Amino acid sequence: MLRVRGLTVGFGGEPILEDIDLEVRAGEFVSLLGPSGSGKTSILRAVTGLLHAREGSVELDVDAAHVGFLFQDDALLPWRTARQNVALGLRIRGAPVEEAERRADEWLGSLGLAGLGGRYPRQLSGGQRKRVAIAQVLALEPRLLLMDEPFAALDAIVRARLTQELLGWVEREHLTVLLVTHDLEEAIAASDVVYVLSQGPRASVKGRYEVAIERPRTLLESHRHPAFAPLMTRLWDDLSGEPVAASATLAP
Amino acid sequence: MVLLALWETLSRVGWLDPFYAPSPAAVGRVIGTLFADPDFWTHLRATFVAAFAGLLGGLLLGVLLGFAAALSPLLADLLEPVMILLNAIPRVILAPLFVIWLGIDLASKVALALILVTVLIFFAVYGGIKEVDQRLVERVRTLGGGRRVLIREVYVPSVTAWVMGNLKIAVGFAFTGAVVGEFVASSRGLGYLLQFAQSTYNAALTIALIVLIMAFVLVLFAAAERLERHLLRWRYGPG
Repeated sequence: MLRVRGLTVGFGGEPILEDIDLEVRAGEFVSLLGPSGSGKTSILRAVTGLLHAREGSVELDVDAAHVGFLFQDDALLPWRTARQNVALGLRIRGAPVEEAERRADEWLGSLGLAGLGGRYPRQLSGGQRKRVAIAQVLALEPRLLLMDEPFAALDAIVRARLTQELLGWVEREHLTVLLVTHDLEEAIAASDVVYVLSQGPRASVKGRYEVAIERPRTLLESHRHPAFAPLMTRLWDDLSGEPVAASATLAP
Repeated sequence: MVLLALWETLSRVGWLDPFYAPSPAAVGRVIGTLFADPDFWTHLRATFVAAFAGLLGGLLLGVLLGFAAALSPLLADLLEPVMILLNAIPRVILAPLFVIWLGIDLASKVALALILVTVLIFFAVYGGIKEVDQRLVERVRTLGGGRRVLIREVYVPSVTAWVMGNLKIAVGFAFTGAVVGEFVASSRGLGYLLQFAQSTYNAALTIALIVLIMAFVLVLFAAAERLERHLLRWRYGPG
């Protein structure tokens, strides 16, 4: 689905990322785990073309229109209602306004926001805004979903709930996912494959780990699975080998 | 209210010279006669026409130039120094020049109001576009939006917010331009009446006109505020 080969990214001077290789196969949930400042986000930005690679290549098996990008913050258009925000992508793809807004309402409903379509982002809570942002991306029915620490700003309970819902969604719809995170437990619990990045600048892939936990799974079951703890220890060791800030960035 | 009562009392007991500070009642009577005088409505219309023409023209020109400068670095290099200069000087000093160029009729008043408003709006739009939230731009781009969608969904609403935030100041500027223009040289308008009142040392008429101009501007402020709240309802709606 997605292959990154020898990717080097940077603006003049020292590159942020150097010689990154990674692969996401169709139907896989892949996490990119790394300390803050390791340039994880830059990889996603390079995949979507928001950022130009200095060297290397990004190969996508799907059309750009089938790639969804869920950002870290929930910057919705403040002057558009929740419904209009969700409908925006559909309208850009040519759906007439009425149809786009009807489908937007359906998506809001399936994300537990029925009846809130007429609200402006300012009138929604952080968790609700995040759900609108998810609806906005899922409404385009992406085949590859890129996520940049999407729930980092939410409190622990909302975060766990949303992660679980999204996981269920991904499994049902057989979505392919590339998730960027600094949360070790989240990475293991949700993924099939975890890539560990070294501290930047000149961050590179330090290791690739397969998670041998069968699907479908829930976050709770994953944590109790016998494979969880040993993998956690290996990843922890890998990250702790980093000279700077490894322990700091592992804090939630 | 207390101040008005005090003023009235001091006038009645004769502590205030009615020549310099006529009582509020006297000013009120003058306002009454003004409204009864058909000529006054001609003056009022002249000022309003000048102010509104300057306001609308200034908004339009300011938005156009602001967008042009934000989209084209070449135009920005040409426009920015001129605008900075115009912004730095007290722009009403241009009034005599406009009178020489455009005569004492409506055109010179409109021109003054227009330039006051244009410079204000230019900076609001130009600055507004440069400070557009880049996260929103990226968001729309990853949803597949091109330049047209970006302008419609991100830039125009952003700029509307900036312009609306400056609308009340622009209304004030438009009236300043119109009245000062009339004050400098004209045959019509509230500024002309003010000039007439001053030259005849008619303090009651002067104060009456000042009060009227303030009242009109306050009414327009209220209208501008309603418009702002309507267009920016996403910002002011119930929380």
